[in-house]
Amino acid sequence: MFELGPIFRALLRQKVGAVLIALQIALTLSIMVNAIFMMQNRSTLMARPSGLDEANLFYLSNTVFAQNYPHQAALEDDLRLIRSIPGVVDATQINAIPLSGGGWSMSLQKKAGEGEDGTGVAVYMVDEHGINTLGVELIQGENFQNTDIRWRAASAVDWPERTIISQAMAEALFPGNWQSALGQTVYINNNEPMQITGIIKTLQAPWNGWDGVERSMLVPYQLEGRNNRYMIRTEPGRRDELMPIVEKALAESDKNRIIRGVTSLEETRADSYRSHNALNRILLLVIVVLTLITAFGIVGLAMFSINRRKRQIGTRRALGATQLQVMRYFMLENLLITSLGVLIGVAAAIGLNIWLVSQFELKPLEPMLLLTGVVVLYLVGQLAVLYPARKAAAIAPATATRSV
Amino acid sequence: MLKMKQLGKVFHTGEVSTHALREVDLHVKEGDFVSVTGPSGSGKTTFLNIAGLLEVASSGEFLLDGDNVNLLSDSQRSKMRNQKIGFIFQGFNLIPELNLFDNVDVPLRYRGFDAKERKRRIEQQLELVGLASRMKHLPSQLSGGQQQRVAIARALATSPRFLLADEPTGNLDSQMAQSVMALLEDINRQGTTIIMVTHDHGLAQRAKRQIFIKDGRVSELTAVEGLHSAGLERVTPLHTHGSADAARQLGV
Amino acid sequence: MLAYYLRLALISIRQSPGLSLLMVLAIGLGIGAAMTTVTVNYLMSANPIPHKSEQLFYVQLDSWDPHQAANENGDPPDQLTYRDATALLAAKKAYRQVIQAQIGTVVEPEGKDSLPFQVSGRANSADFFAIFDVPFLYGGAWSETADSEQQHVVVLSQSLNERLFGGKDSVGQKVKMAGDYYQVVGVMANWQPRPRFYDVTTGAFNEVEELFVPFSLLAEPKLSRNGNTNCWKPSGEGYPAFLNSECVWTQMWVELRNDSEKQQYLDFLNAYVEEQKKLGRFARPLNNRLSDVMQWMENQQVVAEDASLMMVMSLMFLLVCLLNTIGLLLAKFLSKAPQIGLRQALGASRQHLFAQYLTEAGCIGLAGGLLGLLLAWLGLQGVTLLYGDSMKGLAELDWVMVLLAMGLALLSSLLAGLYPTWRACTVQPSQQLKSQ
Repeated sequence: MFELGPIFRALLRQKVGAVLIALQIALTLSIMVNAIFMMQNRSTLMARPSGLDEANLFYLSNTVFAQNYPHQAALEDDLRLIRSIPGVVDATQINAIPLSGGGWSMSLQKKAGEGEDGTGVAVYMVDEHGINTLGVELIQGENFQNTDIRWRAASAVDWPERTIISQAMAEALFPGNWQSALGQTVYINNNEPMQITGIIKTLQAPWNGWDGVERSMLVPYQLEGRNNRYMIRTEPGRRDELMPIVEKALAESDKNRIIRGVTSLEETRADSYRSHNALNRILLLVIVVLTLITAFGIVGLAMFSINRRKRQIGTRRALGATQLQVMRYFMLENLLITSLGVLIGVAAAIGLNIWLVSQFELKPLEPMLLLTGVVVLYLVGQLAVLYPARKAAAIAPATATRSV
Repeated sequence: MLKMKQLGKVFHTGEVSTHALREVDLHVKEGDFVSVTGPSGSGKTTFLNIAGLLEVASSGEFLLDGDNVNLLSDSQRSKMRNQKIGFIFQGFNLIPELNLFDNVDVPLRYRGFDAKERKRRIEQQLELVGLASRMKHLPSQLSGGQQQRVAIARALATSPRFLLADEPTGNLDSQMAQSVMALLEDINRQGTTIIMVTHDHGLAQRAKRQIFIKDGRVSELTAVEGLHSAGLERVTPLHTHGSADAARQLGV
Repeated sequence: MLAYYLRLALISIRQSPGLSLLMVLAIGLGIGAAMTTVTVNYLMSANPIPHKSEQLFYVQLDSWDPHQAANENGDPPDQLTYRDATALLAAKKAYRQVIQAQIGTVVEPEGKDSLPFQVSGRANSADFFAIFDVPFLYGGAWSETADSEQQHVVVLSQSLNERLFGGKDSVGQKVKMAGDYYQVVGVMANWQPRPRFYDVTTGAFNEVEELFVPFSLLAEPKLSRNGNTNCWKPSGEGYPAFLNSECVWTQMWVELRNDSEKQQYLDFLNAYVEEQKKLGRFARPLNNRLSDVMQWMENQQVVAEDASLMMVMSLMFLLVCLLNTIGLLLAKFLSKAPQIGLRQALGASRQHLFAQYLTEAGCIGLAGGLLGLLLAWLGLQGVTLLYGDSMKGLAELDWVMVLLAMGLALLSSLLAGLYPTWRACTVQPSQQLKSQ
């Protein structure tokens, strides 16, 4: 490090170039760190399990247009038909699709009456095949019996006596003691009692941006209306093959309705997180291009600085500097500039983060990430200066004695 | 036409002040050919820079055609350089990425001549130095002597009344140096005033006046008649042929 | 002289192709990224109905739960209850007024071979077409009588008319939906406001619906609604109870031509709510709102947060690219110090040199701008690809953006060129001429 003094003094003499590079490094660091942080946040969101057997699930919409239609009988026929198709594991009617962004929510409260505190929860109306079809794991209590299932008319307001809730919902109702939720009575619509007869491990609500996304409940209801959705689970690997088969079978069995929107749950997940995914890719591209731009900037400026100092370098060589020492000079110079940039950059990154947090729904930065960014930029700087430094080392000592 | 009175130039670098020129009194008349000699660091180049309006004196008075140069703005001095002064340098200072035509074109552009006039002057000057056929070549394709000829053509393109030459033969071998010197003498004979800095005493003695600078002070040498004429004798034949022919004969 | 400077710039750019390419690339990438995100933001925040956006007002009444505000920031609910909306419509206190809700229905075309299909629709009162300046290809809006008499009339979109009637004038024809026949009274010309401001609660950038029917038909449960329904207390059993409930699912716009009309209407709303308070409703403090189009877009955060975030990032990106360009230009111009000194010796003034080098910076900027445009176009394709249909129509360059891109490129390169050029102009000629 004995060379640092002269390098530093030389830098002071051509300060603008050095400051420009340092500023670039600073900005790159602050953008990079914040962008990676956003990507991490979104990746964490996307990695949350929905609780479903996503790979083997698909669903479709059944829209009845005929008048005076026997809704109940037709629904039972449809489900029987689907379940009888080879390769189908199970099927259920369901009112809302997890991850899809559209669904029902209600509020459950521990005490009856208006004005009591309630906890928001996503409502999935299914029959006794619901748990098996969705592939959710029942960890306490028992599934619905066929006798629990009730028909729900289009504008009904009452609720069945039983419900199965997600562990997160149980925890929200009974903090610190979710197991105790089993068997308890809670109230829906302020006053209507429901008994918790089962707890499932994970089942996400349809809205991935909701802070209560892990809170959900299963209700033993069959819907009687013009618009129905069927959720179908297939044997592993047979989903794509069965999707058109089920669609065709349903469409042909009854001409008084339209079967549409046959969609796999994986597509729904992709749609649901499309903007997250897109932003992550864009941010990744920004980081990569930004780093490249900065690196090329370092290369360009170093090349020019070396060209201008050709004679000086030649003189150093003539005075006995080894190639390695010349290279080291430029590497050290870059190290100093990068240090300045990193110093400003860390401050800028934190400043930017504070501003972003105040403007957008973001969390504060983690220090570890900042440190990683710093290390990465030191590496980028050293790598970028390697080529010009080798060029400098290759300058012949004789250059010193030539006048032109 | 050029008058310096008690001219001084001081450079300040940190704590140190260097007196590059002290109390210079000089009067150069129209048609003079002045050579400037002196040891390295004596102030020759500073003298030439001030004479060529590239630097401003720290003290004293400098009149060019009666104008006090010290009082002019940067752009007025640029204009005056462009109209009255031509430069030639030791290192030729051609712009490497421009071809010969464009190099000679540079001062004409700043003069504001129209395209036709520029073309006429460029072709005329390149013809004069014997390089008209190589107009589209880049400087790097020429020999040193040829490059200096282009530089001279460039310096003369604006028809300056003053030609300042800073070691014009310093980078040339002696044969080429002789030919360039002959060209300068020819130019002087046609009425252009020349001030030439050189360290070659032989060339210096061929000038009409010789001044010597040491430690920033200027003194004038009285020419020794015999040496002067002997120097002239050697090159006399070239003058009768005109410069273009001279260049060809020398194989430049 | 400009031609001369341009030629010199070209020669200089050609002389160091790698460096020039790097600078053009840096500016191009910066401009490309900035323009991509600026375009998306610009289109998202566009005024969809500029000539009357300040005369159209979205109506909000605070009919919500006495114990809890509808929105965290205390804003009233985004929609009205059916009973309030129909009451306000009937009062006719504004110059024009419309109440509306989104529906979904199945159209059953005539003929054995045609299959029934699902369409998106809207139930709205008659003024909808006049308030929002909906253009018609054939026919026109239905009358207020059609509203009050719950007539089965329908206005078709151009594309649905194409599908059902082959694009012919279908006024007077019948369309069968949910077991009933609807008479066509009008066919809309192509109309796609962006954002689809008249109902942002069902997606600000979704397509305009395919058919429109009188709102009064929703008094019967035959047509199914598609939009959002929010209730703060149980609605009661049966459809009539639902209509009479505190559930909000109706949107209302009024057209008010000046400030005094607006004030009068607000007074009317407040009086209405005071009246309702006597009936035991509207337990919350008086909190009625009239928001004009752009205020409502702002309130509903029509410009997606991600889009603004990306714009911030891309503008910072542009800044890095500019710093890069400044550094490289500085290096390049300073390496030309000998030439600069020479030109000064040959009579160039500082102005000459300034113009020459700024021209060079400008040339690089323009080249960067062109590259930036290309990259912005590619970037927008990429955005469309990544975001899918939700970005449809939001990722297209128009001439405003093209001009902006070129202007931005030129401006940024000139800004970037300013310091290096200044440094170049202050080169001391005498120090450059002696040794090369």
